[in-house]
Amino acid sequence: MPGRELAEKVSGLYGEIYYSDLGPFDPLAYVSALYEVASSFSADIAVFPCTGKGRVLAGLFSAKNSRSTATDVYRVESKKNSLVVRRLVYGGKAEASLELNLPATLCLLQGSYAEAEANLASRINKVSKQNQSCRVEFIPKKVEGIEPDKAEVVVVGGRGIRTKEDLKMIIELAGILKGAWSVTRPLAVDEGWSETWIGITGLTVSPKLYIGIGVSGQPHHMMGARSSKIVVAINSDRNAPIFEECDYGIVGDLYVVVPEMIKRLKNVK
Amino acid sequence: MRIIVALKPTYDVSQLKFDSEGVPLLDTCPVTLGEADKCALEEALKVKGSLGATVVAVTVGQSEAHIKGIKDALAMGADEGYIIKINNAWNISSITVANAIARFAVVTGPYDIVFTGSGAGDTHSSIIGPMVSALLGYRLVANADKVEVKEQKATAKCTMEDGTYNYEVEFPAVITVTSEANEPRIPTLKAILRSKNMQVKEIGPEQLGLSVEEYKDIKVIKHMVERKRVIMEASDQKSTEESVVKLLTFLKDEGVI
Repeated sequence: MPGRELAEKVSGLYGEIYYSDLGPFDPLAYVSALYEVASSFSADIAVFPCTGKGRVLAGLFSAKNSRSTATDVYRVESKKNSLVVRRLVYGGKAEASLELNLPATLCLLQGSYAEAEANLASRINKVSKQNQSCRVEFIPKKVEGIEPDKAEVVVVGGRGIRTKEDLKMIIELAGILKGAWSVTRPLAVDEGWSETWIGITGLTVSPKLYIGIGVSGQPHHMMGARSSKIVVAINSDRNAPIFEECDYGIVGDLYVVVPEMIKRLKNVK
Repeated sequence: MRIIVALKPTYDVSQLKFDSEGVPLLDTCPVTLGEADKCALEEALKVKGSLGATVVAVTVGQSEAHIKGIKDALAMGADEGYIIKINNAWNISSITVANAIARFAVVTGPYDIVFTGSGAGDTHSSIIGPMVSALLGYRLVANADKVEVKEQKATAKCTMEDGTYNYEVEFPAVITVTSEANEPRIPTLKAILRSKNMQVKEIGPEQLGLSVEEYKDIKVIKHMVERKRVIMEASDQKSTEESVVKLLTFLKDEGVI
C-alpha cells in the first residue's frame, strides 16, 4: 500500500503521522527515515510490531536511539522514568518482567491489546527520500482466501502433512469453519507449499480458534499462535510439545482424524 | 576475506522444566549453539571453501557453555575462536551484547562480513544482528534463507511476513541467517581432535572499551496460559469417532465454531 494511503487509514489514531515512499524493505533506508522523524522530537518510547521487519527496525533503531529494548512484549506499565514490561522468553514457555529506562524501544506482540480507537486531529507529514543501502527485489506473497492474521479460525498444517496434495484437507477444514489456513515455517520456506506461515518470523495470529494439525509445537511456531483463545492439537506423537499447551488435543493419525472432522462438520451444516 | 561469526549458546527450550513455584530449572536444561547460529557458521565456512576466508567465531560470555560453543565452532572449521569475558552473560542487555560484538569487530578487524543467526534459540529477539549493523555502520541483510557470497558482494533471499525479498549488498555487511539456510556440517572425528589443540582466546570488556549493563530486577517465571489440556485418543475407528464428536461438542460449547 502506498505510504499516503496507509497514513490516511490510521488518521485519527495519532496526532502526527509520518509516511514515506521508500519502495520495498531496505532496512537501512527505512531506519534512516525513522531517525529523521525521531530527531524532530525527543520520543521516550518507540513501538514496533513483533514481525520479521518490525524486529529488524527495532534493532537498528534502538542501537542509535535508546539503550533499553525488549521484544515479545505483551504488557507495559509506565513509571515516572521507566517502563515495567512483561515479555515472553524461552519460546514463550516463560515470561520475564523487567524494568526499562527511558527512552525505550519495544516490539509488541500482536493481540496483546485491543485495537485503539480515537478521534484525534491528525497531521500527515511526508518524510524525504533516503539513500538506498542495497538492491532489493520484492515478490509479494499471494494469499488466497482469508488472511490468517485477520481470521477468527486458523487451521495450521505442520510437518505431519506428507505432501502438498494433502494440504487440501487443511484448506477444506478451514473453509468449512469459515477460517483461514496456514502452515509452519518449514512447509512454507523449505517446501514452498504456502505463501504464509505462523511463527516468530512469519505471522502472529490471535484467533478465537487455532487448530494445529501435525504440528509438533516447536517454540518458533507457538510464539506466533500463543495468544489464540482456544488451541486444538491433532498429532500422532503423544509427546509432541503442543499437547502441553493446547485446550483440546487428539492423539491420533491426522489422516484419519481430519477426514472424520470434515465429515461430521459437513453433516451438521 | 575476513568473516566474524557471532554465536550464542542457548537453552534447549523444548527441554526446559519448571519447579512447583514456576521458576525455570535452567541448571538442568541442556545448552547448545542455536540452530540458526550454526547455519550462520556454515555459511561462513562455505565462503572459506569457495573464495577463501578467515573465519573468526566469537561469543559473549565466559561460562562453560560459551567455551564449549566456541570449541564446537572450531571443530566445524572456524580458524579462530574468542570468548568475550562477561559474567552473567544471560542477564546482560541486548545493547551490551551488540556493543561487545561491534567493538570486537573494530578491535580485531576490519571484516567484510558479520554472520549471525537470525534469532537465538531461547529469546528469539532477532535484534542483535540489526543492532550490530547500526553500531558498525555495516549494511544489513536480515533473515536470509539463502545466501550467495561473491568477491565484493552477497545476494540473499529473505522470506518476511509479506513476501520474499531478494537483496544484493556490498560489503561490509551484517547477514543474519535462518535455520533454513543450509545443513550445518557435522565435524569429523579428525576435526574434533585437531580443534582440541586450538586455543579459545579470551578478550575482556576493558580491552574493548565496553561498559556492561545488566537488566535490573529481572524476574523469570513460567508463563501460564491457562490451557485445559483435555487430551483424547484416536487409536481405532471407534475412538476416533468418539474423540471427534467430543472435540466438536467442546468447541461448540466454547462458542468458537
